[in-house]
This record gives sequence, structure tokens and C-alpha cells, in this order.
Amino acid sequence: MTVITTKKPFEEVLSALKNTKKIAIVSCGSCAAMCQTGGTEGAKEMAEKLEAEGFEITTVIVPEEVCDNRVMKKDFRQIEEDLKNTDAILTLSCGLGVASITEVLANKHPDIPVFIGTNTEFMGMTERIGRFYMRCRGCGDCLLNETGGICPITTCAKSLMNGPCGGMVDGKCEVGNYEKDCGWVLIYRRLKELGRLDLYTKLRDPVDWSESGHQREVVWR
Amino acid sequence: MADTNHVYSKLGEKLAKGEFILTGELEPEKTCDLSHTIGEAKEMAPYVVAANVTDSPLGIVTINSMAATHIIQKEANLECIWQLTVRDVNKLGIAGMIMGAQALGIHNVLSLTGDHPYLGDMRESKPVFDLDSATLVKLVREMVDTGKINGHEIEAPPKLHVGAAANPNAEPMEAEALKIGRKAQAGAEFIQTQVVYDLDKTIEFLTAIKKYKIPVLLGIFPMKSYAIAKGFDTFVPGVSVPKDILGKWKGIKTEYKTDKKMQKEAYDQANFEFFKPFITELRKKKLLDGIHCMAVHYPRIFPKLVEVIKSTN
Repeated sequence: MTVITTKKPFEEVLSALKNTKKIAIVSCGSCAAMCQTGGTEGAKEMAEKLEAEGFEITTVIVPEEVCDNRVMKKDFRQIEEDLKNTDAILTLSCGLGVASITEVLANKHPDIPVFIGTNTEFMGMTERIGRFYMRCRGCGDCLLNETGGICPITTCAKSLMNGPCGGMVDGKCEVGNYEKDCGWVLIYRRLKELGRLDLYTKLRDPVDWSESGHQREVVWR
Repeated sequence: MADTNHVYSKLGEKLAKGEFILTGELEPEKTCDLSHTIGEAKEMAPYVVAANVTDSPLGIVTINSMAATHIIQKEANLECIWQLTVRDVNKLGIAGMIMGAQALGIHNVLSLTGDHPYLGDMRESKPVFDLDSATLVKLVREMVDTGKINGHEIEAPPKLHVGAAANPNAEPMEAEALKIGRKAQAGAEFIQTQVVYDLDKTIEFLTAIKKYKIPVLLGIFPMKSYAIAKGFDTFVPGVSVPKDILGKWKGIKTEYKTDKKMQKEAYDQANFEFFKPFITELRKKKLLDGIHCMAVHYPRIFPKLVEVIKSTN
């Protein structure tokens, strides 16, 4: 699994960094490296662009996984001196990276703002580098055993539990000019292939948002 | 108190009696003044059992359909079928609206998914779809039949009949037909279909869903003019107007270019001639319980449709 990111327009990054001068770049060596938004290359490219705009780069680090608090605690110990001389951190990772850095630095450097140079798109399946697809939304209540392994929450533009809707034409979805497959037709075809249309005919209750509609956490020890 | 097997509206009464039903459609627009729609409602009132009132079709924002339904019923003295989509209100909001509808004297509701906001003129709006068209049916039936919502008593429960939509043009057809089975499980009391022009396909679909034993009102769209026929053919995805029909309508446009009265009569007659054999065939096969005419802004066609229905009985 990869958290898919894309680059923010550089003007938007510049706008976020307004009134700062000395920047530390934290570039994720995991998913963002794969998406070519972070990693060593992404960090190098960003550092050059910022320097060309007159910024001073105080340090560049490429942690193994920015979203892991443990990794960040360890890596920040090594750049403690640089951080004392830093106005802001620019993170090239998914949104989790910003959250992780902010939490890890909360005690020692609460005054350093943490900015992001990417947009977090989705949790993605990789076909090959440069081709990533959303196939799971992480809803917390997996239906795949009943839908032939195809997620209606993700592949149906309306996340319907009982599709297809009237917006399906020849197996395609009304959203996006009938170019993408209707998720529910994919489910129908797959279940038919498996000889399990009995699952397709089942009336499903609406999604229960009572547990998943707010900040979620998994804490088991 | 729970209320089951009761009749709450004229439509409910006709359904219970198994009478052949004609319904119309009204499409309020982006306005707070409904006088134009009320005018059309009054014109069709003598001929139809009820008229649907649309809920921001194509995701294009219009006046709220519950408010419009209430006003049309009051002003035009025409029973309405309130179209309610799950596009933009969550389950909590919809449950409140259903009680509100009852308080406003609305007793028929058509459960629809609704076109995605992305298609309309407020595409940045959040798509809700908390329910879907089947679970909305289920919710209405729960509130009406048990007098409860989520297990909580409703002091004065709603009394509405709930219908659902079906699309005989859908491909793959089996995916759609089996979905109607889910709507039947949910408790749909009637079906109104998408507009159809293809007789063979319609027969195949209606035969496939007959086992669910839900009365079917067939969606038809008599075409007021060549421009409307052409527009419908071009802009309504998944429904094609047959080429020979388009040719015929084009011929009428050309032939009566200077005589608008004759042109109108010719269009009306052409609709009669197209729909009569179509409906005759379906009634002969006992696949129809009524007609739902979706030709908005064409109320003068209703007397002709009544004639079609009488002649196909």
C-alpha cells in the first residue's frame, strides 16, 4: 500500500512559506519517494527551487517513514542543532508526515511551523510507477467478502450500498463523462463469474457512521 | 401507532384497486415563484391521478421539491408524488423531511438516488448519498408501517406511499433487474420507469421484474416538437429516440412550418400513433399498471394519452 501524493503547485508552497527564510526539508523515503514527490530526488529539486527564490536551506533529511513517530524522534535528534536555526519545516510526504512531525516536535520546538509541499490523494494500489489507483477508502467496515473483492464505497462515485444507480449507462458511470466503469456493474460481473449473484441481490443497510464518522484510532496496547 | 395496509392517497387507492394509472411530471425551476408550474399542474389535473415533482434533476439546483410539492398540491388541487433524492441530505435530515412531508399533506414519495452534484451547476457541493434509493424506501416503510424510526416511537407517524425507479434501458439489464428485487425487499409500493422507446427491450425488462409483483408505471416522453425530440435524443444518456421517429418529427416541422396550429396537432397525433401500439402491446402482455408521462411543459398531450389508455384497455 502506498499513500499517493502529488506535488502542490510551487506558488502555493511559496505562499505558505511567506515570511520565513530558513527552511528545513523533511522528505519521506517511503510512499512519497515512490510517488516522486519526496525522497532524495524530491528533496533536492525542492531545495534548488527554494534557494533560487532566496531561501536558505538549513538541512535536508530523508527519513525512512515520516509518518512513524519513532523514526522521526530518532532522526530529529541528529538535526537538533539545525532546527535551532530554522524558521519552518517543509515536509515532502503525505499529510500523516506533517501530523507526525508536529506531534514529535511539540515539546522541544513548538514555535516551528510545519508546512507541506504535496497533496495527499488517496491510499493507492500501484500498477506501476506513475499509475496509482484508489481501490479502498479505509472505511473501517470491509464489505469485500460480499462484493466479489470490489469495493462499492470506492468504485461507486456515490459510494452506494445498493447500486447501480440510474446514472449507469452501458456499464459506465455518469461522473466523469461515462469514461470510468460503474463499480456496481463490476461487482455484478465479478459475482456472476463466481456464481454468487445471491450476494448481489442482498439488500444492504446504509453505512453505519457512528464509529467511522469522526476521528478514528486503533489502540490495542 | 403502527399503520399497515392502508391507503393514504388517491394514488394509493388506485394501486390498491389495481386500476390503470396515469401520472404526469412537473419540473419546478430555479425560481421561488411557482405560478408557471401551477398553471401546468392545473392543465393536467383533470387527466392524471397525480404528478411527480422533481428534485433538482441533473443536479441543477431548483426550488426544494418538498416545498414545491406542498404549494402545487394546495394551489392546483392536484395530488403530487414528491421526488426525493438521497444526493444532498443525510439519513437524519431525510427522516425529518419525511415527517415534515406528512405535516404538509404530502402522501406519495418517489425514492431516487439523484444525479451526482458533479453533473450539475453546483459541482463543488458535497455528495451525500448516506442512503441509497433502496434504503430510503426501507426507511419510509419503517416509519410508516411501524410508526418508529431507529426503534424510537414517532408520536404522529407519517402516512406516505413510497415508490422507486427502474431503468429498462440499462445495460447490463440483469444488473438493473436484480436491483429492482432489492427495492422490492425494501418495500417499494410502485415503480416508475425511465423513459422508454424500445419495445422489445421494455418487454424483456418488465418480464424480468414481474416476479417482484410491484405495480409498474411506464415512463414515456411524448415529444412536443422536433427540437425537443432531438434534444432528448442528444442529451439524455442511455435513452435514444428511434431514428424513424426523429425523421417523422422533422417532417412535421418542415411540412407545417407556417401553420403552428396544424403543426401542434400533427405532433400530438404523431405521439398518439407512436404510443398507442406500444402501450397496447405491453398491456396485452399484462406488463403495465400505468403510464408515467414525463413530458414536462407539454400538458396539452394528456387528453390524447387518456384516449390512448382508453383505446388500449
